[in-house]
Amino acid sequence: MATTTMNGESNNISNTPAPAPVIASSKQPLAPVKSVDTQSVLKRLQSELMALMMSGDAGISAFPEEDNIFCWKGTIMGSKDTVFEGTEYKLSLSFPNDYPFKPPKVKFETGCFHPNVDVYGNICLDILQDKWSSAYDVRTILLSIQSLLGEPNTSSPLNTQAAALWGNQEEYRNMVEKLYKPS
Amino acid sequence: MDLSDQVKKMMEEDEPDDDADSFEKISEAFICCICLDLLYKPIVLACGHMSCFWCVQRSMSGLRESHCPICRQPYQHFPMICKMLHFLLFKIYPASYKRRQTQILEYEKEKGSFSPQFDDPAFILETEKKLPRLSSAQESTVSEYDLLSHPSSSSKDQILLNVAPSESGSIIEENAGPNLQIAAEDVESTILSVDEEKKLQQRISSVNCHQISVCDVLCTLCKELLFRPIVLNCGHAYCESCIALPTNEMIRCHVCQIKHPGKAPKVCLELDDFLEEQLPIEYAKRRTSFQLKQDHLQQESSTTCSSEDAPESVYLPPSSAENLLSWWGDHKVHVGAGCDGCGMYPIIGDRHKCKECVEGRNYDLCGECYATGSKLPGRFNQQHTPEHTFEIMRPNSIRNIMLRLLRGQLEDTSAAPNPSPDTTENQHSSLSSDAQEAAGGGPATNDSVNQGCENERLVKCWAESNEPWRSEPSHDCSFCISPRQIEYWMGMGLG
Repeated sequence: MATTTMNGESNNISNTPAPAPVIASSKQPLAPVKSVDTQSVLKRLQSELMALMMSGDAGISAFPEEDNIFCWKGTIMGSKDTVFEGTEYKLSLSFPNDYPFKPPKVKFETGCFHPNVDVYGNICLDILQDKWSSAYDVRTILLSIQSLLGEPNTSSPLNTQAAALWGNQEEYRNMVEKLYKPS
Repeated sequence: MDLSDQVKKMMEEDEPDDDADSFEKISEAFICCICLDLLYKPIVLACGHMSCFWCVQRSMSGLRESHCPICRQPYQHFPMICKMLHFLLFKIYPASYKRRQTQILEYEKEKGSFSPQFDDPAFILETEKKLPRLSSAQESTVSEYDLLSHPSSSSKDQILLNVAPSESGSIIEENAGPNLQIAAEDVESTILSVDEEKKLQQRISSVNCHQISVCDVLCTLCKELLFRPIVLNCGHAYCESCIALPTNEMIRCHVCQIKHPGKAPKVCLELDDFLEEQLPIEYAKRRTSFQLKQDHLQQESSTTCSSEDAPESVYLPPSSAENLLSWWGDHKVHVGAGCDGCGMYPIIGDRHKCKECVEGRNYDLCGECYATGSKLPGRFNQQHTPEHTFEIMRPNSIRNIMLRLLRGQLEDTSAAPNPSPDTTENQHSSLSSDAQEAAGGGPATNDSVNQGCENERLVKCWAESNEPWRSEPSHDCSFCISPRQIEYWMGMGLG
């Protein structure tokens, strides 16, 4: 196993700048992300785009940025009968090279006054972190965020002010309207 | 919409061969939820959900147990490809499946790692053709049933359909297409319209779909049409009722004798629905006979033991990073190494590594498979033979690194806004106790001397550097790993 051979190696080359130690994972040689992987990500994103354009879900949409299919811009509308009704939010989605095995980075581009969204637009949502599954896609992500708007998790808030105010829906609605700045 | 045009153009450029198989309308049931394409070398997980070989392999964790991408059911064993489905899909969608084959082969070549190779399906079909067809009579009746199942088809279609099955029954798939087209043209000469032609094309493709027969989807045990199919970890398909055991014995495949880990798998509902749709009469027969049998059984014994009554798995998987720590602490885990016998991934317990399979992927066996002398060739087409010799591997150094990694991960999450000091505290204490346990009198292993030494250095390494995993190592230590390496590990799921 490569882990134990390192000592000897580094003795021999102690004068040269420290090389990145190589610990070969036992099933796969260490290698940078390969083009075949990128290819499969590209294919998957194209399929998603097609499906999204065909589906015509109400209240959500997404499209790749100019010239880069790895970066998408999405929009979600606040659901009916929630304090976010009538508002529209822009989001950015950036896909890693090993998507869908890893989740995309999703951020609000439009400021969103919400218990689980911070001032920079970062979202605290389990399915975008440790509960990610490769069966999720852009559509399900956007739908999840849309339902998160109306059903925040106030027990572990990123925005404590919003969490505290959530109990008073009328005032919350006023706050949303006050802070809403569509781009 | 400029960009949409661009994307469309890009798609067309990307897949020039797309048109060739676009007439094959792939059933939703056979679209992989990960690559969103036709399943290639399908694997059925114990929960009954299907995915491609590489999609399953890449979505597995390697660090701990994995979860089904669709239902999150935990599993620890990498299942084998379901050959029955593999050949079935090739038969239904020959052009699309060929395209997938080429595509995946390219991927495998570049990766330098190959999925198990089967005899070329085309070859199989040809040999099948030469063999006396046991069920030719049965097959023709099935195709008639198929006709009946499409009440919407006009008389013209019936002519076509009648031509199609009788011919395709005796020729291989690829020839069926052109032949059908000739037949279509004959009829076409009387009625000529572009619209009709399009419809015909669609019907021809639906005829293609109908070419499956009962003998493509047989239960491994009862040799009848699969009824409520389940697929074992070894990839063999059975009826649910054929495999149901009244006792708590481990399920063992009747063909390959491989044990199925855990309780009985769930029914593959997608396949079940597909069978009912494609072979409705046969399927209805199976259902009736099954119900008769059930009634009979119930009369015989009032106490039934259905599979639903089976006790839920006692093992509750830990989900959060904190729990991971205890998971790692309790198990002798071999990160990123999978057993080529039973498929356990990562291997827990003893790991035996083949000394001779060094090209491409390693060949590993878990303690149990090594003891029972697994004779399987390997899950990634390794050229392993039973004559090869093994060596036993130590998990500890990698496991320890992982413990440290987890600590890093935990700090990452707690570094996010709103850190909760309590949990961070706990993590530190649990980790240090772990380190102490490791450094001190950990459970004695074969090479406890060596291990003790390594653990001592691990603790020292931690003391010297706050975050040894974040920077390039400044000192000579086998525990220091570069952030790049960690990213690679975490990212690739230790593929």
